[in-house]
Amino acid sequence: MIPLENFLILSGFLFAVGLYGVLARRSAILILMSVELMLAGVAINFAAFAAYLDADGFSGLIFALFVITVAAAEVGLALGIVLRLFRERRTSYVDAANTLKW
Amino acid sequence: MFERLPVPAQFDRLIVAGGIVTGVILGPVFLVLLSLLLVGRISAPELVFWLGFTVIVIGALGTVLLPNIVHAAFALIAALLGVAAMYLLLASEFLALVQVLVYGGGVVLLIIFALMMTNAQDDPIVTDGSQKPFAFIVTLLFGAVLVAAAINIQWGAESVSLITFRDFGARLFHDFMVPVIIVGVLLDIALSGAIVNARPNIDEHSEETAQ
Amino acid sequence: MGMEHVWILPAIPMAVFVLLGLFNGYIPRRGDFIAVLGMSLVVLLVGLVLLDFQGSFSDHEFHPAVGANTYAFDWLNIGNGFFVIEFSTYVDAITMVMLPVVSFVALMVLVYSIGYMHGENRYGWYFATLSFFVAAMLLLVISGNLLQLYLAWEGVGLASYLLIGFYWERQSAAEAAKKAFITTRVGDVGLLIGIILLWKATGTFDIQELISAAQAGAFSETYLTISLIFLFLGAVGKSAQFPLHVWLPDAMEGPTPVSALIHAATMVVAGVYLIARMLPMYELAPIAQDVVLYTGLITALMAATMGLVASDIKRVLAFSTVSQLGFMFVALGVGAVTAAMFHLFTHAFFKSLLFLGSGSVIHATEQQEVEGLGGLRKKMPITAATFIIGSLALAGIPIFAGFFSKDEILHALMDSGPSWAYMVLAGTALLTAIYSTRLVLLTFFGETRNTESYSHAHESPRIMTVPLCILAVLATVSGFFAIDQVGKLLGFEGGIGYLVYPVGGHPHEFKLYVLFATVATITALVGLLIGWIYWHGNAQRANAAKEWAPELHQLLVRRYYMDELYQGIINRVILGAAAVVAWFDKRVVNETGVDGGAQLINFLGWRLKFTQTGRIPNYVLAMAVGVLAVIIVAVSNS
Repeated sequence: MIPLENFLILSGFLFAVGLYGVLARRSAILILMSVELMLAGVAINFAAFAAYLDADGFSGLIFALFVITVAAAEVGLALGIVLRLFRERRTSYVDAANTLKW
Repeated sequence: MFERLPVPAQFDRLIVAGGIVTGVILGPVFLVLLSLLLVGRISAPELVFWLGFTVIVIGALGTVLLPNIVHAAFALIAALLGVAAMYLLLASEFLALVQVLVYGGGVVLLIIFALMMTNAQDDPIVTDGSQKPFAFIVTLLFGAVLVAAAINIQWGAESVSLITFRDFGARLFHDFMVPVIIVGVLLDIALSGAIVNARPNIDEHSEETAQ
Repeated sequence: MGMEHVWILPAIPMAVFVLLGLFNGYIPRRGDFIAVLGMSLVVLLVGLVLLDFQGSFSDHEFHPAVGANTYAFDWLNIGNGFFVIEFSTYVDAITMVMLPVVSFVALMVLVYSIGYMHGENRYGWYFATLSFFVAAMLLLVISGNLLQLYLAWEGVGLASYLLIGFYWERQSAAEAAKKAFITTRVGDVGLLIGIILLWKATGTFDIQELISAAQAGAFSETYLTISLIFLFLGAVGKSAQFPLHVWLPDAMEGPTPVSALIHAATMVVAGVYLIARMLPMYELAPIAQDVVLYTGLITALMAATMGLVASDIKRVLAFSTVSQLGFMFVALGVGAVTAAMFHLFTHAFFKSLLFLGSGSVIHATEQQEVEGLGGLRKKMPITAATFIIGSLALAGIPIFAGFFSKDEILHALMDSGPSWAYMVLAGTALLTAIYSTRLVLLTFFGETRNTESYSHAHESPRIMTVPLCILAVLATVSGFFAIDQVGKLLGFEGGIGYLVYPVGGHPHEFKLYVLFATVATITALVGLLIGWIYWHGNAQRANAAKEWAPELHQLLVRRYYMDELYQGIINRVILGAAAVVAWFDKRVVNETGVDGGAQLINFLGWRLKFTQTGRIPNYVLAMAVGVLAVIIVAVSNS
């Protein structure tokens, strides 16, 4: 029997690593990929709690399912924006989209 | 026909490199875990967990650390497949399948498409931002807080019970019918938004003629 | 119409004001006849009120059938009875003296104005403003509470401002209007403070309630004295008493009928009315009453001396008005409300007569300076005759009105005032006779000093002379109201002395003390004689006197340098303080406070704007730090 803590640590690790990617990367696509990692960490958390703590064991799974769905939608939309950015700026680096500065 | 659509040379090297990495890192880990299983120190699910754990850690770190975007994308695939294994361990086959289908089949494919379409030659080599040290510190703290919270609390764990496809589907469309419909609408909107965002400016042409 | 309906009286001229103020251009003759008709109606209604009042007057006592204090409605009720402002009217003998004076003189002046203002610009607006003034003045004299009185008080002040500045194209008129308004405002602030002080101690504005509260000892004497002195300050401003008398001579910039109505007969006596109305309270605060007495005394003397040398015919009359108002305050100061109201009554008639007469002269010659007049009695016989009657009344010659009322004041002062005050006031009466003689001689007798204006001078039209004649009759007979038999004939048993006396006081019986009257008559005749000696013919002696004491003459001509003193105070003290305040405002409030804050924000914004890098990773990093902080705080708190 795998203890619940293992899953929680795994999900925390995934979330933190994804956050690092979001913060440290410059390419919009890499940032998107890092966001996917964060979402995966959250989804694991949901599923783990659902399996271990909820007698019903169902609601958390639904949340995880929705997270996956929303992530897919987000990627589709965000990649559209990335393409737009690329077309405007000839680069996919988020530094390029800095018109809103002072 | 295939000559006209050559697989990028990068991909060849990738597959080779991936195989080497897998063999070098995962091979010993798998062997150690297998021997532990045989000795009886760990159970079969624990073997799967630790194997998946290793894959996820390597994949995630590869995603955020590799300088080459294509390499990072493949590392992401590995990490997400590891997550699918975790779902299996958490007794939800459906989620595992969705994970493989949606991420492995859809999302990563989309990302690679985007990569190919935005493969600008004049991008600088360095793909990490200037705030990397701060990001590292913040992330470390964040992870520490999360892990500390996970360890600190005594979770009264219950037994894991498998949920069958039939149950899952029945309850999903019975208890969560409205959210499912809303998610459908959301996906529709996202699709429309993606199309509107990605297509060329309609106004550009008319603006040029106006000028 | 009974006494409970007196609120209709101010409503009529107010309606006329609204009608004429808005639509005088659409009415034939600019609506002057509407004003006159409205005022005639008011006079008629006042007569009805008088009859009603007389019916409730028996055994020398006032027995109101309906209740003298009528509450029409609650104007404002704050905090369910905590702060109630009523619209209330109060009618007693003092009101009944004021109402005929105000309405009748107003009617005379309106009729006279038809002739005097003929062909002027803003002819309709003139009648509208005059109607507004009458409305405010009537409201003032029927007010049952101090706050309503204050409203009317400001209303007459506004009307006075508008009418003094009627020829606002003239710089001097605009400035005189401003001066009158600001000077009286100084007093009005005192009045308001006094009202608030009285309200604070008792919680009521009602005059009769205040008086009974004061008699029941609701105030400490110091508190009452201070409140009443503040109240008196309002009267000082409005009635042009020393030291706020400076505005009245300048107020002569307005049209002459306005001077007759507002600055001789009605508005300036509002202060006298106020003090007479509050006199039962002043009786309880001897110091405040002494302040009234000595202020009146100083004013009477000062104004009379200034009247001796003034060269503008209207200013002489203005100084005379100030002086006569001083007489009234002296009477109030010794508690002789009867004498004061009686003098107010007679003075209103003969002084408005004099002003209207001077207006007639000005209308005919377009000259105001006595240097440009003289010998007019041949050209303007009616004006000259009525003017002489008014002057005799002013001088206090027997059978004319001023004789009776002035004697009453002098007698009251001798009875209950210090003897030296009597001497001073008797001397002032002498001066009064002298300057009235001077004015008559310089205007109507001798040789003309300006042949050009003399040659085209003519008697005024009948619409102007008829009011003059009516007022001349009144200036002659209005003194007889004091006599017992006349009072009995009119239904006021015991004459005016029994009519007007303070609540709870004793009726004042009018008696003609032969010795006293002889002294007064001799004084007046001596004054006449001195005036004749000095100013008959070409006024050689007067010029000699001027040569003999040029400094004294200059002092009087410059009005004791009061204007210069005030200007100096304003220049040095007020403008100096204003400069300090302006400096503080500019440097500290504006540049340090307002601009400083803005500059600080500007500086910070200029520095801190660089945190807005426009780079999404920076924002995400900040967000992550924030979330981390929140988590840490939440965890450490639990």
